[in-house]
Amino acid sequence: MAKFIAKRVGYMLLTLFIVITATFFLMHSIPGDPLAHMARNLPEQTRENYYEKYGLDKSTAEQYVIFMKNLITKGEMGESLRYPGREVTDTLMTNSAVSAKPGGLALVVGLVIGILLGIVAALNKNKWPDYIVMFIAILGITVPVFVLASVLQYIFSVKLMVLPTTGWGSWKNIVIPVVVLSFGTIATYARYVKSNMLDVMGQDYILTAEAKGVSRFNVVKSHVLKNAFLPCMTLLVGQVSGIFTGSFVVEKIFGIPGLGFYYINSINDRDYTMIIGTTIFAAALFVFVQLMVDIAYSLMDPRIRVK
Amino acid sequence: MKKKLVAVLLTATMALSLAACGGKDGGGSSDGSGGEQYYNTYLQTEPSTLDSIKGNDNYSRGILINTMEPLTRLVEKDGEQIREAAGAESWESNEDGTVWTFKIRDNKWSDGQEVTAADYAYGITQTLNPDAGSPNSFFTSSFIKNGSKVVNGEASVEELGVKAVDDKTLEITLEAPTPYFMSLTDTRACYPVRQDIAEKYGETYGSEAENFVGNGPFKIDSWVHNSEITLVKNENYWDADNVKLDKVHYAIINDETAVFNSFDSGQLDYCSTGSEEWVERFEKKEGVDRIDAVIPSMRFDFFNVNDELFSNLNVRKAFVLAVDREDMAKTIYQDMHIPAFWWVPQAVSTGELGDYRDQVEGPLEKISKEEDAKELLLKGMEELGLGNDPSQITVKYSLSATTQWARNYGEYVQQKYKDILGVNIELDFNEWSTFQQKTNSGEYQMGNMTWSTDYDDPMSMISLFTTENASNIPTNWSNEEFDSLIAQAGKEMDEAKRVEFYAQAEQILFNEGCNICPLVNEMQHIFRYSYVKNVDEKFTSTSGSKYIYIEGR
Repeated sequence: MAKFIAKRVGYMLLTLFIVITATFFLMHSIPGDPLAHMARNLPEQTRENYYEKYGLDKSTAEQYVIFMKNLITKGEMGESLRYPGREVTDTLMTNSAVSAKPGGLALVVGLVIGILLGIVAALNKNKWPDYIVMFIAILGITVPVFVLASVLQYIFSVKLMVLPTTGWGSWKNIVIPVVVLSFGTIATYARYVKSNMLDVMGQDYILTAEAKGVSRFNVVKSHVLKNAFLPCMTLLVGQVSGIFTGSFVVEKIFGIPGLGFYYINSINDRDYTMIIGTTIFAAALFVFVQLMVDIAYSLMDPRIRVK
Repeated sequence: MKKKLVAVLLTATMALSLAACGGKDGGGSSDGSGGEQYYNTYLQTEPSTLDSIKGNDNYSRGILINTMEPLTRLVEKDGEQIREAAGAESWESNEDGTVWTFKIRDNKWSDGQEVTAADYAYGITQTLNPDAGSPNSFFTSSFIKNGSKVVNGEASVEELGVKAVDDKTLEITLEAPTPYFMSLTDTRACYPVRQDIAEKYGETYGSEAENFVGNGPFKIDSWVHNSEITLVKNENYWDADNVKLDKVHYAIINDETAVFNSFDSGQLDYCSTGSEEWVERFEKKEGVDRIDAVIPSMRFDFFNVNDELFSNLNVRKAFVLAVDREDMAKTIYQDMHIPAFWWVPQAVSTGELGDYRDQVEGPLEKISKEEDAKELLLKGMEELGLGNDPSQITVKYSLSATTQWARNYGEYVQQKYKDILGVNIELDFNEWSTFQQKTNSGEYQMGNMTWSTDYDDPMSMISLFTTENASNIPTNWSNEEFDSLIAQAGKEMDEAKRVEFYAQAEQILFNEGCNICPLVNEMQHIFRYSYVKNVDEKFTSTSGSKYIYIEGR
């Protein structure tokens, strides 16, 4: 097991290194720089000082070496070029914690409801509960998040006036975002759990169990669920890391000061340090969760245990 | 205009009735602080920093005007704008208008320290100090003595014509008499900055509510990045008795629909919109005032004079005259903005003479009646030796957005040029940064941009095309006569003569330049709940929220 983990950690670091390097050179190759973003043209001397201060006067390769050195030795990613005086690492920590609140809640809500609906649908295949669940699932996958968000905001904030439109701090602020964010999760898991369960229920060992006279409830509990949930864990990787990186659209509509904003805007602003920071954050989170899931997999399913 | 008059009358009667029923207790506070004297507004984007030297965005401008005390403020009284003494109690200039002495008022910073002339001197000096890298140096660099030299590193900051004579006396020496110098005194280039605080926090000065001090009517209470900013009344402020609001709350909302939903449900007291759909919706709403105002901002095309085709004046003129501005304002902008036949926008004033555009006719109005676009194009093509078939010409039109709106707009322009001139337009959509890079390096033929004034004088717009300032809108056009007229206007203390210089320069810009093609003069459409009183409506006013009060929320 230890060898397995060590090997995976090694791969993780390699992946991160490739992601950082690729992103660094890619972002420096898009036209425009952080200064071009500011509408005005600075006087020559001021411009030179500015470039010098942020090390932008050096070649991309040199900047890369400096950046990697600071990252590895001090764990520093530098200061945002767009928002003077704000450390990228601070922004990542503060804002991902904000994103995690509605994101985490939405994932839990989505998982619980999604799995329940999936089980109900599987056990009532081709009956009305199945049709209702599948209708909800299709709705959840096809209705774009921003449409659902705007509609709910209009109904609950403008018409009924029971919830605030935007803002952050009160539990009221995250009710609609959680509903909106969990909708897609519900839909995904309901469908996935249903098809996995049906798949497992067609296996020979279920037939054996039934033949032995195990009750339907016990068959589902001890044999179907565990095997049907395993593949769901793969889906979880993206979603767990997604909690912290936030949803750009939902956060924008409800004015949630999460991390989603920085993923899109840092690129438009050519805020180099923020682009690389958010990328590292997302990549690191993703490979870390992937590792966790792989470990959990091998614990739960002896068939996948590594040689 | 009529609407505005009504608003003024209303405000006046309300003020009277307020005096009559003083002590009325307003309920309905959302924060439980008891009073109704709070104002809920919004910012579309997070301010980059509250450091007046480093930031240059409009969002921080709105916060700074409330948390800082500029030397003067442009305030509306009975519908007229007047320059009011603010951070400076009084001021005077020497005979030829080159040395200005400001008497700094007794005022305190939000941390209790006395405000001194040195605070103002530090702010003004740092803006021009190339080491500080301020994007705002253009405001003052060409006026203050040795400003250009300092900003370009050719002279030390000690040589700058700014000094604090004593604690309460600020002396500014100018390169030459500058008639509109006073209108620069409320821009961020002249804000005070506390040297000790700025140095204590260094790079992080102004990045958080805690790393900042102000001396304005309000102080910053909290700032949740990308979410909200709360200002509360500054009890240390010299004129605190005249500040009615206890709290100004800014929600930071990026999403348009969310802004309108918030306004609709009463969570915002104010909103501004450029979309016809929302205007129609809010107009039906009760208890809401609509204020339409022209703002000193232009949307325009500009041509690269170094490009082979656009090196020819007749071709440029043809492109300028081919635009049907009325149709564009109607079709594309749904009458949200007005057609522009000028470069200096409406709502820019020249001292006591009032609005510049009321005095000078838009040059394009006359030219477009006298000349024919298609003829000019053919003449230009002949001069360039390009034959006489416009359909052989393809022009690349660079836009600074990639939105659906930009695409619709681009298609409209494409169609119109095809119909009127018979030329082909190739659309080139860019992100803002890419667009800036392309146009600055001259790799474009024709581009589209918006520009607003930085201070209230025609100089702010017209001087953009002097040879010295050419890099702002990089058309590469240069004209000696134009430069000399601008230089003369910059020194002319007589308002009427100055207006005459501007008018001549603007005429040359279209007779011999046509490097820009004005399209529309922007307007803003504001909706505000009627319980918000005493708001200065003019775009160029700098009173901020100082005099606003709430009645009958």
